[in-house]
Amino acid sequence: MEEVDRIIIHSLRSIGCDVDDQVQSLRQFGTELIVATVVRCLKIIIGDIDLPSTLPPGMSARFRLGASLANQVQDLGYKGGDLGYQTFLYSNETEIRRIFMFLVEKLPKETSQAADEPMGSSVLLRRAISIEIGTQLAAAWTPPFLKKKGIRSRTKPPGWQREGACCLQHYHSCQITTPTSVGNLAVKIPKELRAYYNKQMPYVTNQTPRHRDTAPSVLEANALEVAVQQDWENEWNQVGLASRLSQQEFKKRKQDRLLKLIRERLQQDSQRREKAGGLSGATGDLQQLLNSIESQAGAANVKTKGSRFANTEKLQYGKDEEKTMSQVGAAVPTKDTEEELERKRQEEVDSLRSELAQLTSDLEKLDLEVRKFTASKQQMEETIGAEQRDAEQKRAAYSVKKRTLDLLPDAEANIGKLQSVVDTSAQRLVNLAKQWESHRGPLTEQYRELRQYNSKRESEAQKKLEEIKQFRARMKEVADDARRKDELQKQLVSEYERMTKDVNRSAYTRKIMEIVANIKKQKQEIDKILVDTRSVQKEINSLTGKLDRTFTVTDELIFRDAKKDEAVKKAYRFLAALHENFEQLIKTVEDTGAVVREIKDLEDQIETESNKKVLQNLEKITADFQEMKKENTALMAKVKGKK
Amino acid sequence: MELSASALEHLSLAGDATHIPDKSFGKLVLCACQGVLLEEHRDVVADNPAFKDLDKAVLKSGYSGLVTLLLEAAKHDSTEQTISTILEECKYTPERVKELNKIFTIQKPHLQLLIGKIGSSFPHIVDIDWRLDYYMKNNHMEKVNSAVYLISLKTEVAGETELKEVQFSCSLEQLQDLVGKLKDATKCLEKISQV
Repeated sequence: MEEVDRIIIHSLRSIGCDVDDQVQSLRQFGTELIVATVVRCLKIIIGDIDLPSTLPPGMSARFRLGASLANQVQDLGYKGGDLGYQTFLYSNETEIRRIFMFLVEKLPKETSQAADEPMGSSVLLRRAISIEIGTQLAAAWTPPFLKKKGIRSRTKPPGWQREGACCLQHYHSCQITTPTSVGNLAVKIPKELRAYYNKQMPYVTNQTPRHRDTAPSVLEANALEVAVQQDWENEWNQVGLASRLSQQEFKKRKQDRLLKLIRERLQQDSQRREKAGGLSGATGDLQQLLNSIESQAGAANVKTKGSRFANTEKLQYGKDEEKTMSQVGAAVPTKDTEEELERKRQEEVDSLRSELAQLTSDLEKLDLEVRKFTASKQQMEETIGAEQRDAEQKRAAYSVKKRTLDLLPDAEANIGKLQSVVDTSAQRLVNLAKQWESHRGPLTEQYRELRQYNSKRESEAQKKLEEIKQFRARMKEVADDARRKDELQKQLVSEYERMTKDVNRSAYTRKIMEIVANIKKQKQEIDKILVDTRSVQKEINSLTGKLDRTFTVTDELIFRDAKKDEAVKKAYRFLAALHENFEQLIKTVEDTGAVVREIKDLEDQIETESNKKVLQNLEKITADFQEMKKENTALMAKVKGKK
Repeated sequence: MELSASALEHLSLAGDATHIPDKSFGKLVLCACQGVLLEEHRDVVADNPAFKDLDKAVLKSGYSGLVTLLLEAAKHDSTEQTISTILEECKYTPERVKELNKIFTIQKPHLQLLIGKIGSSFPHIVDIDWRLDYYMKNNHMEKVNSAVYLISLKTEVAGETELKEVQFSCSLEQLQDLVGKLKDATKCLEKISQV
């Protein structure tokens, strides 16, 4: 029984019951503890039940708690005898053991299931976090002046940890460049790039302006690339494969699409803006942006042409600069007095300024004119085009008319000629149609064949594509599977490492095996004894049979003789008495056996009864009864007082 | 732990014996650790005479690969086993794997301290000064008679060497409420640590 108790107590502890380390068997369980553990078990098995985990002070509340516990346990399907509040409040060892065995049997399924299920990396991470927090919580408080830069050392596990917020830095990262495909001989790197890699490019740790940004930058670069790769793979698997393009083409198409989208959106917005309220500065900006996007999208090598205004401006300023330069050059050699120099300079500045103003106004005027001219030029061009078209039409009409007029004088002959021409051309048309038919027949045939062939190929390609898709999906699945299994294995290894501390399990299994072996041995023994008993029974039966037979034979013999002889008569009487006496003896022996058995039974009963702690429980019950009485009287007094 | 394709490429360059000889490899790993950890050593690779004859482009590439690996491994608190699997995929010889692991195990706590520095936090309470005043009366009321706690929390703020103070006054109930909240927080942490 001790073994069973230990198993029960172990599993109770594992679900978080507060069982003292010194408690080794269920005999040591008090009422308080029993109620607490049963409530805990029920909470785990059923989930949400509203039961207090500690024994309430009032007697009636206790009774109610006991009754509801009994109800709950019976609801779970407990079939071991009658269950009531007394089972928990006035416990006896065997019943409690039975109940706990039942509850523990109900318990572990959930937890073992949870352990069997593969835990994701998130669970592992959470566990690692909780372990770390546990160690940090276990550490004693240290004043901040004992921690240099917020770092404190610890002994278990050895190392350092950071505490406090004094040395934290915000996350800040920079772009990091690394040489690409240097080791790959298949990729040609331009000489200039190689020279840059060799000479100019700083090492990774020397690239950020501040050294402390190095780690975040490196981590970010890696994470970014991983994320982009994953994203691309997803997209390629979902959309890219179906489009039947190569990766570059797909990327190019996507880029085009995006650019188009942006362009359209911007155009729409700018139009809306123009409608709303004239050409404001912001729209101009937008227009510029639009222009630049269009020029970029068009072709990279087409340089953006500066506006005419910018060009003229450049020219003008260039001239200005030259002028000032020459003026300055002229002024330098004549060494005048300072005043004169000043004055001259002032004059010069004034003249230049006025010149500049004039020039700008001129420029503006010119610009306006240019604009006007371009507008008028466009208009002119349009009118010219219209005139030209008109002229062409007129010319055609004129030629037709002229020819008909030429034909008019010799009308008859000409009509005949025309008729013949028309006839021949009609003939020719028929001929041509025939020829066309003869050519067209085989060609259409061929065309149809080719089309069929093409469609077949297409369907084949479709099929292949499907296959490829399937393969990719399979590949992904298998890779996922492998990864998951890897993780599972890792996790199981860690689990196993954790388990090794818990020797109980193997010890239990060994003990169970021993117990099973013992039981087998005992069973054999019992069988042997049963066989023995049976043989004894048989012997007894045969002996009684023999006795009976011998007795009847002797009886008959002596009875026959008894009629003749007086002495034999006496002997016969003796025999009868002997037989009777012996029968009585046997009966007594049997009775003794029965009594002994009864005694044993009674002793067993006494044992079980004494196990039930009847006396103790009785005392407890009386005490509780008294208490209840007291409570009742108190309540009565209260009620009376209220009245 | 996941490394990007380019990082893996750099890493396999670092492990290639034709590019970086065995005797320089350990020094390169050490340089990577120092370069990440210490500001004054950030360019220590460039000055090291051991790498004088090597192709600088390859060296830079391998160096960046090693730096990425070390930082990522420290971030994920990787064991030697996981690092070994990654390195084996990059065709490292067992000796090199062993050498790198040896250096990494020593440097891991330092690297983790360095990475642990990144982030932001609320001011961190490290100490407290308090005073209990008894508030008897004012010009409006003859009898107030209540206790007033003056609390001054000393906090650490990121980027400051001196401790900052957060001062406030509160009544007994408010203080009890605060203490209750703090206890809740402690319990919450304990619960997390027991998963």
